Amino acid sequence: MTAPTTQERVSHRVPLWRDVVVLKWVTQVVLLAVVLSAMWFLATQAGDNLRARNIVSTFDFLERPIDIQLSEGIDTKPDTGARALWTGMVNTLRMSIAGILFATLLGIVVGLARLSDNWLISRLASTWIETLRNIPLLVQIAFYFSVLTTLPRVGLGTGPINGWFHISNKGISMPRVFIADGFYQWLTVVGVGAVAAHYVRRHRQRIQDETGAMTSPILWGMGTVALFGVIGIFVHPVFSWLGVPLGAIADLLDSLPVIAPQILFSVIALGAAARWITRFLSAHRSARGHLSISDDDWFRIAFATLAALAVVVMLVRWTGFSSWTLNSGRDLFEVLENKFDVDGAARPFDAMRPDIIQKGKFPNYGKSGLTMSIGFAAVFFGVVFYTSAFIGENVRGGILAVPKGQSEAAMAVGLGRGQILRHVVLPQAVRIILPPTGNQYLNLLKNTSLAVAVGYSEIVQVGQTTFNQTGMTLPVVVIWMLFYLSCSLSISVVVNWFNVRMKLVER
Amino acid sequence: MTDAATEPTAEPMSEPAAGQTRDLSNARDMIVCEDVSKWYGDFQALDGISTTIKEQEVVVVLGPSGSGKSTWIRCINRLEVHQEGRIVVDDVELTNDLRNIEQIRSEVGMVFQQFNLFPHLKVIDNVSLAPIWVRKKPRVEAEEQAMALLERVGIPEQAHKYPGQLSGGQQQRVAIARALAMEPRIMLFDEVTSALDPEMVKEVLDIMKTLALSGMTMMVVTHEMGFAKEVADRIIFMEEGQIVEQGTPQHFFENPTEDRTKLFLSQIL
Amino acid sequence: MSEFTGLGADLGMSTGTIPAVASPQTPKLPPREWVRANLFSSPFNSVLTVVSSLIILAITRGLLSFIFNPQRQWDATATNLRLLMTQAYPEEQYLRIWVSVAVILTLTGLSLAVWRAGSAVSIANVGRRLLSFGCTLALFALLAPFSARATIIWLLIAVAVAGGGGTLRRLADSERTISTLALVLIGLSGLVGSLWVVPYGNHTFELHRTPRVIAEPGTVALSTKFPWTIMLLIAVAAYFLGTYLRDRGSLNATRTTLALLWLLMPPVLLYLVLRDPDFDMGHVFGTDIPIFLACAVLGGALLNWLARPSTGEIGRIVAALVLIAAFATFLTPMRMIVRLDLLMLAAFALAAPTFSGGPRARRNYVIGWLGLLGVMSWLVTAVNTPSTIEVPGQFFLGGLSLTLMVAIFTIVISFPLGLALALARTSNMPIFRLLATWFIEFVRGVPMITILIFFSIMVPLFLPPGMHLSEVAAVIIGYSLFSAAYLAENVRGGLQSVTRGQHEAAEAVGMTTSQKTMFIVLPQALRVSIPPLVGHCIGVFKETSLLAIIGLFDVLYIARNVMPNQTEFMGSTKENILFVSLIYWLFCYQMSKASQRLEQRTGLGER
Repeated sequence: MTAPTTQERVSHRVPLWRDVVVLKWVTQVVLLAVVLSAMWFLATQAGDNLRARNIVSTFDFLERPIDIQLSEGIDTKPDTGARALWTGMVNTLRMSIAGILFATLLGIVVGLARLSDNWLISRLASTWIETLRNIPLLVQIAFYFSVLTTLPRVGLGTGPINGWFHISNKGISMPRVFIADGFYQWLTVVGVGAVAAHYVRRHRQRIQDETGAMTSPILWGMGTVALFGVIGIFVHPVFSWLGVPLGAIADLLDSLPVIAPQILFSVIALGAAARWITRFLSAHRSARGHLSISDDDWFRIAFATLAALAVVVMLVRWTGFSSWTLNSGRDLFEVLENKFDVDGAARPFDAMRPDIIQKGKFPNYGKSGLTMSIGFAAVFFGVVFYTSAFIGENVRGGILAVPKGQSEAAMAVGLGRGQILRHVVLPQAVRIILPPTGNQYLNLLKNTSLAVAVGYSEIVQVGQTTFNQTGMTLPVVVIWMLFYLSCSLSISVVVNWFNVRMKLVER
Repeated sequence: MTDAATEPTAEPMSEPAAGQTRDLSNARDMIVCEDVSKWYGDFQALDGISTTIKEQEVVVVLGPSGSGKSTWIRCINRLEVHQEGRIVVDDVELTNDLRNIEQIRSEVGMVFQQFNLFPHLKVIDNVSLAPIWVRKKPRVEAEEQAMALLERVGIPEQAHKYPGQLSGGQQQRVAIARALAMEPRIMLFDEVTSALDPEMVKEVLDIMKTLALSGMTMMVVTHEMGFAKEVADRIIFMEEGQIVEQGTPQHFFENPTEDRTKLFLSQIL
Repeated sequence: MSEFTGLGADLGMSTGTIPAVASPQTPKLPPREWVRANLFSSPFNSVLTVVSSLIILAITRGLLSFIFNPQRQWDATATNLRLLMTQAYPEEQYLRIWVSVAVILTLTGLSLAVWRAGSAVSIANVGRRLLSFGCTLALFALLAPFSARATIIWLLIAVAVAGGGGTLRRLADSERTISTLALVLIGLSGLVGSLWVVPYGNHTFELHRTPRVIAEPGTVALSTKFPWTIMLLIAVAAYFLGTYLRDRGSLNATRTTLALLWLLMPPVLLYLVLRDPDFDMGHVFGTDIPIFLACAVLGGALLNWLARPSTGEIGRIVAALVLIAAFATFLTPMRMIVRLDLLMLAAFALAAPTFSGGPRARRNYVIGWLGLLGVMSWLVTAVNTPSTIEVPGQFFLGGLSLTLMVAIFTIVISFPLGLALALARTSNMPIFRLLATWFIEFVRGVPMITILIFFSIMVPLFLPPGMHLSEVAAVIIGYSLFSAAYLAENVRGGLQSVTRGQHEAAEAVGMTTSQKTMFIVLPQALRVSIPPLVGHCIGVFKETSLLAIIGLFDVLYIARNVMPNQTEFMGSTKENILFVSLIYWLFCYQMSKASQRLEQRTGLGER
């Protein structure tokens, strides 16, 4: 039965103003144009206003000397803007990493306590959670700060454990272990140990699989690393020859012209786009070779092409990025060269106790101990306590979300309580706990910026001081945003990687 | 509708016209498909479908799952977009033309496997919403019509309940009323009884039968062979996106020509 | 049960009151068995119990001695209550504040009645809570560093409360219930009544032209006992008016009116009542009203025509022309209000086919246009009219009222913005999706304080010459953009929960995309998003504390930087911040509890 021709009043040409595809793209392009012109309008406006105030926004201040005093960090009296901001970034990262570590530990404790059979413990945990998460973090930080500032002054012979642990209105000082000159060589030894451990673990695993004997492969692997670590303390100078090749790489990078990274990055961008497009097309080709591509697909292809071209144009237009990568690559390898280029006597680690010195009228902590300034302590306690309340709720929710039938089934096959927790409940719970906890890590990172209220020199505080001095608000804000975006992105990537791994384990 | 041509089975719904099929050759073409093809990525869902459905004709589409039945009828009211060939519904071709799409959507009613009632609206609002906002009817008139339709499908007493409070069969009947409220000229049924408990299948099929007898053009994707035998004017058998065989129920069930059809029938009967 | 009474109940176990706090859903055990099951079920548990009760006792003791330490300057908060609430709002204009409070309370009372808020609790349960509260109080009295006389007084009060609770529990049969609203009313009456008895805050403060604030002896309770009594009466009267409207009038109409009033309330209170604008009547009658009338009449006529179903495609072309005209006005010098009116008209014209219909539908549509146009014209006029309230500092509100104002305006502005972003991010238009995703992920990747700093410094630079925006307004804009990105993510979760089948069903009955979104997708998505949205509102409220960092006089800034500098209250920071924490905690905790109750209530009604 074939279709007879119908007496259609069909014209095959669809008028443009009624074509859904045309309408769809016209709407989008119009909106895009409106957004772009609004941004252009604001940008020109800002440009005019800045010019009227004789402010030229450049990044020059990064190179220029700056008069700024930071509360703490790798360089409390930085000589350039770049150095000051770098110190701020390091301080932010220090706070974030310490905060994430302790908030996770405390959060797990709080979450488990919340689930405890013991009524008192679980009420204590829920009081902790409900109190802390319903008070703004900034208020909490301000409170801790105000309490810490009213602590007694530093005095010789003060502190709960004299000579080891001091608490005063200058902060909290304790002994510290720090990396010394031999550290990088030692780390290389440990790296070699890790490779060896991999093989040891595999070997023990094979024996276990074949004979069924409990060979504890993971323990063996960790033992191997530890063994190498101990040996490395004595033999690490054997790796000091690595300084030569590293220096050679640094020299090579130094001698390369700017065009080299430009070409390299351009080729990478174009190649990635081309690869993506060919893969996309082959995925949309049927067995008979028919290509079905919708308007959205065309947009994707065009977008990939445009993105690659934009990268190329930017590389050509702003040579600064290319020379920056070259220079920083060279600097990195030079630093590494220096690290390896030390004589054999250096130790990988050193430890020191806090000391109290009296330079002027008042005694203060010396440099030897690990000292938390009260600014650091206030922010640290703030973010750790606050985040622990949220992580605790995540932990509790995740464990409760594992169906009861799972542990019942495990009990039925004779697993013990600990085994059930380790092999059945936790793997499933972690999968539920991880994504919201990753979000909490991001929040913690962003919340460290509240340190500006108590004068801890992290990136926002340093930036604010910098633009108050130089007037370069816009560049500083751009640096802030780039810094936070890249940190957020890194945390997301790590959390996602864990997530994917967890899902694979599950299968 | 005196020439309603259904086989007289267990329940004679109308005047029996045993062994006869209706003569629809002079009727208008309602749906014309010419060489319709569609791909999802590199998977071809429809492969050159060509057929014509006449006014008042009841077509039942059979086939194993994944054979493209649902994709095809969803192309007819453009829930899916076909990529090659032409589909003409009631003399209007389905193109990117906004006006044609609007016209066809309001002329073609569709009932889904999962009912898809709007859970946040009462039954009567489910039925009257589209007439009010799409057909631009005054609210009072639309609600009167909705009540009349709910009476026709036999559940006027449920008008002021929410869909969640109804049984599956009742929900599916509301869904039919909702489609009918737009006064469509064609009705598409996409496995409407598959999600129902067995005891509720009959109440829905009965309504579909009455609808067929009233002269509605219908395309029905179903696994209910009894319904196909009894109500269909024509049965289309699909596999792998192609029409394998089509013909009257009598022809189809008693002496199919294609091997694939025979295999299919032997599996399900 | 609030957390503190919960904590107290923990401690109360040693005095043998455990059954009093056993939650009602668990089967009641005799005290001895309950203790064994929940506290001493295993040796490990017993050790935990002993250790943690010691810790709890130590912490409570420490907290109480911190709070009741004679060195604490609680006078600072009592004296500065007005500063904390409204900063430097002039005393002779204080009636305006009370009127605003009255309006809010009236709307609250009406809404509580119309939406049938509140639930019933059994009187026995109330008695049980009172009993455990009394025991907690007794324990606190024993632990606190009071003098012997004070301890005895507090113990007597505690015994009275506990005894009253115990009698209630024993006498009332379990069937008798009391509304939670009545309980709240009793509590509030008690608080207001205490104003007449106790002279809270026997200091008053004086504001000088300089930012320095000096406290002087006086009484806060004296100046507020009369207004607060009236406020309470107004709230009660509003509640009864609400019950009357609910039972007599048309429920849906009342609810719609109330919702509109809630929406209108913030700008009306701020710009008309609190700000006391000094309208230039010549300008208003000479320019503003003619422009409004012209737009209203011409726009109304145009929309009435566009909303005819028979208008067809010409309507779309006309709507597009209006949009082009609206954008064209930005190229020529023109009054901002005309541009805004034209943009709004264009939006209405584009949406007209969605809402077109019979005469009634058209009338409603035109009324919607007139209403929105009126509100917007008035708002633009009001915003551009100078205020007559004179205060030191740059903004006439401060303290808690500034916090609340910023929070409310941010939520109201960011809601439509976030909705639009969420719709764009889930739409099938790639460019919309890209723009929305970039914006959302960018904003979510940076801390709020950087955005606030950026807006408070940079917004003046982005404005064309001649336009001014106060710092508070700039901050609200930045905060709204920030909040919109997070809100969009919450709504997106709801949008994704609407099944594919719902979209298809709506398309199959011939709805256009906008009709589908309006009538099918958004109602379902928003219902699902209510709990995360309430969480978002709590977050917005909490984060207003960041205003302190950029130097706005919010409640935290006053507590940290103003009050400790008053000569009388040098170094009272800790106490002040504790008080501010209590304010925030009360608000946030109540909101999160309310959201949990709402979740349970709607969870039952759905499906």
